[in-house]
Amino acid sequence: MKAETHFAFFDEGSKKEIRRAIMKAVAIPGYQVPFASREMPIARGWGTGGLQITLSIIGKSDVLKVIDQGADESVNAVSIKKLVHETTGVELTDRTEDADIIQSRHRIPEIALTKEQIIVLQVPTPEPLRGVEAREYITKRMHSEYDYSGAWLILFEQIMKYGKTATAADHPVYVNHRYVMAPSPIPRFDNPKIHQSDALILLGAGREKKIYAVPPYTNVESLAFDDYPFTVESFEGMHCHLCSGADVFLDELIDHTTGETIYQCNDTSYCMERMNENVNEKEKAEVEGSYA
Amino acid sequence: MAIDQVHDLQQVYRKILHSMSRPGTISSIQKNVESVDYNLPCYDATLLSAMTLLDAEVTFHILSDNQHDLIEKISDYTLARFAPIDKADFVIVLREDTEATIQQALEQCKDGNLIDPQQSSTWIIESSLLSNNGELTLTGPGVQHTAQLHTSFSTALWQARNERTKEYPIGIDLIFADEASQIVCVPRTTSVKLMGVN
Ligand SMILES: [Zn+2]
Repeated sequence: MKAETHFAFFDEGSKKEIRRAIMKAVAIPGYQVPFASREMPIARGWGTGGLQITLSIIGKSDVLKVIDQGADESVNAVSIKKLVHETTGVELTDRTEDADIIQSRHRIPEIALTKEQIIVLQVPTPEPLRGVEAREYITKRMHSEYDYSGAWLILFEQIMKYGKTATAADHPVYVNHRYVMAPSPIPRFDNPKIHQSDALILLGAGREKKIYAVPPYTNVESLAFDDYPFTVESFEGMHCHLCSGADVFLDELIDHTTGETIYQCNDTSYCMERMNENVNEKEKAEVEGSYA
Repeated sequence: MAIDQVHDLQQVYRKILHSMSRPGTISSIQKNVESVDYNLPCYDATLLSAMTLLDAEVTFHILSDNQHDLIEKISDYTLARFAPIDKADFVIVLREDTEATIQQALEQCKDGNLIDPQQSSTWIIESSLLSNNGELTLTGPGVQHTAQLHTSFSTALWQARNERTKEYPIGIDLIFADEASQIVCVPRTTSVKLMGVN
């Protein structure tokens, strides 16, 4: 670490401003708090909002995990880890349970998070009403008046067109029965994890200059109609071809040799852990078997 | 040993954030208080909380009329400016402040508006020893079932606070600090019920 660089990249003034915005976000769950987003040495749209939160809260004893679409080793996750590590010296991990702070793009890990953890989600489009109204001052007014007819209209139009709500990701949620919030482009599969979470959830949008939050033990409901209830992606009857995991979010792949469709855990560190456990159990069984 | 503006304040911030996310959860900043070498007429935890949250971008108010020296010191250390109660981003309540003064300030302070509910005041309040053995029952976001809390705020002051938070998302957020360097938070979302009071 060079002597002239700040701990965690930012000067203390920048951190304080972001820290105050996070406090307001926690006090008003689901409400988008404006903040003075900074220029970051990574490309915009690559998680600058999440990164600014992480840099403002992280301390030298924290252990950090960064994932991009479930993967710890993607280019984006690696460049974020590199920047945070170079400016703080914090320990990095792939193991979800070892992390104090988890910065993520598009996923919430499969392993349940704990009271001691904070998950920071990267947000490209924080405004759930942007699809019906382009003007910020109007969407702000809609939130203030609890006018969510636009959010319902988007879902209704999807049902008319596709016979179901077609949101692949970023399905809007009601937070604490008050604000409609974009949960970031996580699959619907992850929406239930935000409800009554043990961990604090912070969301950051760099380009749109917004920070918002879901405190632990907060009610979060996915928007749905009575006759078209909210459903998550179904992986019934499928399992991971590597770790045989089921009841997790699976990616669909084509087996190049057989041409068959196979499935694989999207959360790579979860999959690795399970494979290691499977190996250990197999070894244990073999050892036990040899003594029988 | 002096306060480390980077690491001490980061650690205090995380404690405040933890407690703000989990109303009623008491956090200790004792370890960081040991670095405080100022001798001011306020708790070390009050000073550290102010130093963590205040800077030149925000304003603060101190209720007491005879704390010019403390106002000057806090301005010097944080670069935050003093402002009248109805304009202040942060309101600092000292142990010496009377119930009547605090009550009046609760009625006059900034509580945001429906368009910008974040333009509200955050309070740093000195309390007698905080504990989870108390007359208050907290529920709401951040509280899994219920939490019990004791602060030095009287029934009348809690009623005044409840009055200022009933038009959610408009409201105020409170940070209590005590002499033992404990902090606890009660954001606007928390429902505070007093034992024996409806
Ligand atoms: Zn797997």
